[in-house]
Amino acid sequence: MFVFKYLFYALVFPGALFTIAAGLLLSGLDRKVIARMQRRIGPPIMQPVYDFFKLMGKENIIPAAANRAAYRLAPALSFVSLAFVMVFIPVFGFSAFSGNADLIVILYLITIPGVALIIGGSSTGSPYGAIGISREMVTMMAYELPFVLVLLAVAKKAGGSTLVFSLKEICDYQAANGCFLFKWSMIPAAVAMLLVIPAEVGTQPFDVAEAETEICEGPLCEYSGPPLAVFKLSTCMKMFVMTGLFTALFLGGIRTGNAVLDAVLFVLICCVVTVICITTVHAVTARLRIQHLFKFYWTYVAITALASLVLVWFGL
Amino acid sequence: MILANYIVSFILIALGLVVLCTKKNLIKVVLGLGIMDYGVNLLIVSAGFNEGGTAPIYSLSDLLNGVSPTFFVDPVPQALTLTSIVIGACVDAMALAIVIMIKKRYGTIDADELRRLRG
Amino acid sequence: MIQHFPVLAVMILFLGAFLIEIIGRNDTVRNLIAFVAVTGSLILLAALIGPVMLEGQIISYWMGGWAPVANYAIGIGYEVDALGLLFALLGITAYWLSCVYSFGYMKGREHLSHYYTLFLMLAGASIGFFLTGDLFNMFIMMEIVTFSAVALTASNTEKLTAIEGAFKYLINCSIGSAMSLTGIALIYLECHTLNLAQLSAMLPGSLSMTAVMAFALLLSGFCVESAMIPFHASFVDAHTVAPSSVSMILSGMVLKIGVYGLIRCCYIVFRLIDTAQLQILLTALGSLTMFIGVTMALAQHDFKRLLAFHSVSQLGYIIAAAGLCTSLGLTGSLFHAINHTLFKGLLFLCAGAVIHSTGTSDLDSLGGLSKRMPVTCCCFLIGAFSISGLPPFNGFVSKWMIYQAAYTKALETGNFYYVIVTVTALVVSVMTLASFVKVLHSVFFGQLRSVHSQAEEAPKIMLVPMVIMSVLCVFTGVFYKGFSKLFIGPAVYSAFGNTSYIDSMMGKGYSELFGVRALSPDALSFSCWNPYIWLVLFIIVFAAAALVLFVNTDSFGRTLEKGMSYPSVYGTGDMNRDFLGNTHVEGDPSEKYAVFFSGEKAEYSHAGGSDLFWGFKYNWHKYYSLLQGLHSGSVNDYCCYAVMCIAAITVFMFIFIR
Repeated sequence: MFVFKYLFYALVFPGALFTIAAGLLLSGLDRKVIARMQRRIGPPIMQPVYDFFKLMGKENIIPAAANRAAYRLAPALSFVSLAFVMVFIPVFGFSAFSGNADLIVILYLITIPGVALIIGGSSTGSPYGAIGISREMVTMMAYELPFVLVLLAVAKKAGGSTLVFSLKEICDYQAANGCFLFKWSMIPAAVAMLLVIPAEVGTQPFDVAEAETEICEGPLCEYSGPPLAVFKLSTCMKMFVMTGLFTALFLGGIRTGNAVLDAVLFVLICCVVTVICITTVHAVTARLRIQHLFKFYWTYVAITALASLVLVWFGL
Repeated sequence: MILANYIVSFILIALGLVVLCTKKNLIKVVLGLGIMDYGVNLLIVSAGFNEGGTAPIYSLSDLLNGVSPTFFVDPVPQALTLTSIVIGACVDAMALAIVIMIKKRYGTIDADELRRLRG
Repeated sequence: MIQHFPVLAVMILFLGAFLIEIIGRNDTVRNLIAFVAVTGSLILLAALIGPVMLEGQIISYWMGGWAPVANYAIGIGYEVDALGLLFALLGITAYWLSCVYSFGYMKGREHLSHYYTLFLMLAGASIGFFLTGDLFNMFIMMEIVTFSAVALTASNTEKLTAIEGAFKYLINCSIGSAMSLTGIALIYLECHTLNLAQLSAMLPGSLSMTAVMAFALLLSGFCVESAMIPFHASFVDAHTVAPSSVSMILSGMVLKIGVYGLIRCCYIVFRLIDTAQLQILLTALGSLTMFIGVTMALAQHDFKRLLAFHSVSQLGYIIAAAGLCTSLGLTGSLFHAINHTLFKGLLFLCAGAVIHSTGTSDLDSLGGLSKRMPVTCCCFLIGAFSISGLPPFNGFVSKWMIYQAAYTKALETGNFYYVIVTVTALVVSVMTLASFVKVLHSVFFGQLRSVHSQAEEAPKIMLVPMVIMSVLCVFTGVFYKGFSKLFIGPAVYSAFGNTSYIDSMMGKGYSELFGVRALSPDALSFSCWNPYIWLVLFIIVFAAAALVLFVNTDSFGRTLEKGMSYPSVYGTGDMNRDFLGNTHVEGDPSEKYAVFFSGEKAEYSHAGGSDLFWGFKYNWHKYYSLLQGLHSGSVNDYCCYAVMCIAAITVFMFIFIR
């Protein structure tokens, strides 16, 4: 019986299906809201779904220089690992998998979609792909430092002098003592995390890896048809996973008592976070250059996150 | 008396290190290695020294005739020193052999020219 | 009977070495002797798993029956506890795999009997180092290791610079062993014995100035052997130029000699590891090493040199974790030591396979080999993922243990310094990933060079060790709980609780005579996550997703009609026709216009590996110009760093330990 339970977790809720649905919703919302910010009407909310199915129906063309196996497996790896990251993130009171090292597991699992994109982009053999993967990797290195600092700050805040790396315990702690977003010492960490999300998802101004105007979407340059559809889908899912992680880390204390209501509320909060950190930032900024991106994350964002860690360290 | 040994051994070790750090000629570098080894050997052999002790050599007949080994020099460090000398000689020979090979391949035994692996 | 096994395991290797020199003119005989010796040693050591690891026995053996007289050890003893056996097993496994690999890799070279003689001596000496119970014997084994490693490095006739790397390695190691020997002499002055068990009863507690000096020198010696900053430079040179089968051993195994010595020395013999200052020294050295190692690796252009810098970086993890003095930290350290041997060995073997088929290890002149060498590429991917710590590979588990131990230490002591250690470890991990992305792109993916278009997959005898190591990487990562309970748990306990180590060697009650108290390890917990269900599900879903992309992938909506070909020159059709009307075979990039990018025609256009991380290096150019200047390649400079660091360690000990 428990096989079906875990299959349900992985495939339906909070795994693949839920993540896909919520991710597509967030992506549609993002496009709609940014259109309104730019005084356009914008596409319907369902547009990412249509795009996905349209791409799935298109022909798949593989360049002669590409490694075909890696070219095809990379999107699948990206998609599956994202669906499985979500299993580790508690939807408020509900957590499907819980270990005592969730934070580290998540930290590494979240890099796998990036690695998949890199493998895919590299396997196409295109020089645009090569430049794209180099930028993707530098972006990963850039946001890793603030991301790590945020996670350590949260762990310290939730654990005190004992070590808590479990997201479930972090959520429970917030349920008992109030959400971290409303603790003033954690606000810098929350801000840093909000800045990490767009880089992780790869939206403007941090979309250097896929800069359409410079390097023709970088790693995705040679992708077409179903693999491209899956990559696009996993970008949407990444949006949800990252905002979901933010919600769990900083607003994990919310409890309504009803699982369905919890899930709905979770998605709604993710929508708000998306609008704040992805859409708004996208609308008001232009793309950074890669070296500036790196510097931005290792100085300003890292210092913000470090401020929070130091504050928490002194018991504030 | 024995203090002088210790001081000299450390001076030798330090001298060897100085040679290793400053001399550009590879033969001299190998010699520095040797000097360092001798310093260490002197230290070990001094470690077993007992003022006024006899050599730790007794034949069976001595022992049977009632000569009792009462006060002698510790034999273990001497054994250690022998081993260490052998090893040191091996290392020096190896190093010199390599220097010959370097001369053959690079055409020089200047440490500053021996810098193709760097960065 | 069983107490003879350790000595036999060492002797069989040395015996093999001499036999090969005498009767090993014939290829088959020579390979057979080498294989039998290594396999025999492996079996003898594996037979000890039962009594030592499971039953917790400690096997002691006095050479020539010279048992202690009047509570003083006078002979040379072999003493095998779980810690030593763990390293010995790891070592012999690595030697076995390397030996098998050598049969393919070294085939056809000259003076092979010398190669195998030195190889077996290296194996025997390093196994002896792990099993011996005598400090001076340890020194001798260390010297034999250095000696044979140098000779093996210099034996690489294919590389002109091999001789230079060997010379630097010899000089650097000699400094290390001279320091150790001085330390040993001082210890003899202090205690008049060199037996490890007796020393660990007599030394701890009240250390005199001589003993502190001896400790500082021994520590420096082992730091040299384990390639800590700033002793690492000449090791990197040697690992770069040695034959790949030897690089694997030098990097994966010989560096572990320093680690083992350090753990033995700090945890058991001097038992100073519970001093806060020593913990800070070791973790600081470790953190610095991992950071400098990985940043230097990012700037490398040579496949093997990059791997060598990664070894330095991973050794930093191991030493930093060992310096934490918690049971989880030591578990992580030992686990990472095992993993490092597995994945770094694997990566060096992959590098060897690439060199074997293309003749070069220059990242800028390779590319696209995944099509020609798929198995090597797969093995490399597994190794790269393991070293970057991606779940579910083994690097993830050990790194997790290290982070957890470091952060727990930070929280328990309230010392912010350990947070820096944790953050360094976490950030270095992603940089490791970055440099392997560079290798992955510039060697295996991207476009195939026309000169390498006929490169062939390595012979099967070379692939076998690679596949075995890949399987081990996955196996230790997935079944980490059982693995760490079986092998690492006993080793950790033997490192912390040393009374039985003393008693089994010197006779019962000896440790009480000196009032030895064991360090009390906190309870071990190995569980970081439960990978089984997760993994099974992952594989199922991944297979499903991959199936969707593979089956009928060329057109999701409609099926291709038979004989229909694409109008363009993309590589999917049976026969491609470019716009000039020339037909050519699919997937042959040497053909002009065979590769099209975004609708434009292109010739060979591979973005090389060397400048892949320009955006990163741009911000660090001052750091890089400083560090690359410091790695000047001059043997005098390296000696100078070593001397300064040894002096610093000694001064540190005198200020803080007593």
